[in-house]
Amino acid sequence: MNSTAGVADLALIIPELILLVTALALILLAPRIRRGPAAAVGTVLAALAAALASAWVLPSDTVTGFGGMITQDGYSGFFKILIAAALALAALLSVRGSDEDEDEDEAPRGEYHALLLLASIGMMLAVSTVDLLTLYLGLELMTICSYILVGFHVQRPTSNEAAIKYFLVASFASALLLYGISLTYGLAGSTGFATVASALSAHDPGRSPLVVVAILLVLGGLAFKIGAVPFHSWAPDAYQGASAPVAAFLAAGSKAAGLAALGRVTFVAYGSAAEVLSLLLAGLAALSIVVGSITLLAQTDMKRLLAYSSIAHAGYAILGLIAGTPAGISATMTYAFFYVFMTLGAFGVVIALGKRGATLDGYKGLAAQQPVAAALMLLFFLSLTGLPPTAGFVAKFVVILSAVRAGHMVLAVLAVACSVISAFVYMRVAVYMFMREPEEPAPSRWPVAVSAALAVAALVTLIGGISPASLMSWAVAP
Amino acid sequence: MNEYVGLAVSIVLAAGITGLMVVLGSTLGKKNPSAVKLSPFECGQEPFSLPMGRLVVKFYLTAILFILFDVELVFLYPWAVVYRTLGFLGLVEMGVFLSVLMVGFVYAWANGALDWK
Repeated sequence: MNSTAGVADLALIIPELILLVTALALILLAPRIRRGPAAAVGTVLAALAAALASAWVLPSDTVTGFGGMITQDGYSGFFKILIAAALALAALLSVRGSDEDEDEDEAPRGEYHALLLLASIGMMLAVSTVDLLTLYLGLELMTICSYILVGFHVQRPTSNEAAIKYFLVASFASALLLYGISLTYGLAGSTGFATVASALSAHDPGRSPLVVVAILLVLGGLAFKIGAVPFHSWAPDAYQGASAPVAAFLAAGSKAAGLAALGRVTFVAYGSAAEVLSLLLAGLAALSIVVGSITLLAQTDMKRLLAYSSIAHAGYAILGLIAGTPAGISATMTYAFFYVFMTLGAFGVVIALGKRGATLDGYKGLAAQQPVAAALMLLFFLSLTGLPPTAGFVAKFVVILSAVRAGHMVLAVLAVACSVISAFVYMRVAVYMFMREPEEPAPSRWPVAVSAALAVAALVTLIGGISPASLMSWAVAP
Repeated sequence: MNEYVGLAVSIVLAAGITGLMVVLGSTLGKKNPSAVKLSPFECGQEPFSLPMGRLVVKFYLTAILFILFDVELVFLYPWAVVYRTLGFLGLVEMGVFLSVLMVGFVYAWANGALDWK
């Protein structure tokens, strides 16, 4: 490694650098932008620039830099665009209406958006790294910013409680991940994915329990980040305590980053232990789908409902990884892509409706008062259920197909059955919106920025459902 | 094995000398105890106290700022060791690193972390 390579390596992290410069500028300018949408505009512009920078290199070959720590390939480009999109939509959803009373939280906007940007940098590092320690670093950057974002409303006790719970459980999960990484290092003598893969292929996982333990620990740490059962307990509390835009960002962005990391780690680093992996992943997927879909039935708080929905969706997304084939990874990538937009859209409607959108009862008779909001909610919930002609159908179709091809017939049947169970919950909201009498006054108008985010999310959800091939052709395995 | 002999000798010597001093002091010394004399000595501090005591929360910010500079030092030291091989680019990189850290410091300063109110 000579020092001239150092400068050339910076080209690999141009999207991250764009976000970093914006975040630093926001931190410095924070005292001047306590209010207003200036910070959100800056964040959206930075996210767009980062997405363009990622797309610019999308079709190019794989380049690795920073001493084999960071790679740039179609996989990282795909997820960087997705993370930038999640960031932009979350920033748009964070814009508050002018008529909303802001007495309860004096949340500083500059710092808030800076944290969103920094968390996104962590996610982007996590999806583009080929080294276990850099992966840990990226995920920690994401998670530490998430703790602060969840507890951002200092005056609100539920927000504090959620942040403390999230912090304690997430620190534990990070320790699991680190322990798994250290065991892997002990076995392979390196933390680089390629070296780990070649070193582990010499071990027979059936006869070397240490490999299984290492995989178990790393998988546990990563499953925590995506909120898969049995590492899901933080999600409902954290989402409920956080403000709705933060919950949306966590549900979309951190899940996409976690899935990307899980995909690369299982496919590249631990690929030689495919039997053990597919067993563990199948267990995670089955548990997440069943527990997520069934607990969904009991929810009346919209943020908790979407939290359990995100747990179930984490399970569906893992279905693609079980096969351990490039086609399977690409199915999971498709799932992650569409999931981000439909879940951000659903959260967007909740945000747009303000206080009324927070509980299930608030949706009674919405179609008569706010036909647009009701129609959008129906679209996103159809997509979350997995019904055509929405992107959710395509997403579920490809991952379940991948599970069937991998020979997991029982799992595929389970996934379809749980989709039907969860349909009951999603469609109950539709019944409330279209077939009940309104009980509360019509919600006030929401900001233009929220409308823009909803429009983008709805557009992707529809286009993804009608002509998925155009979006899916980008989803190539590492 | 031989290299451990010196260690064993020094352990024996240390234990012997301290033991001798304690034994001589307690047998030959004059004893005139009072409450203050019997209390453990720790530079004027209360050596034992229950952890329920209150601490001014302002120390927390100071500690955080200390960590900021501590981290800076941790990275500056190895950089200084290999400064000549890194050349000019190393200087630029360290400048970028320091300015990123300083953004945090400026933010803390601007928000009154240094005012002892």
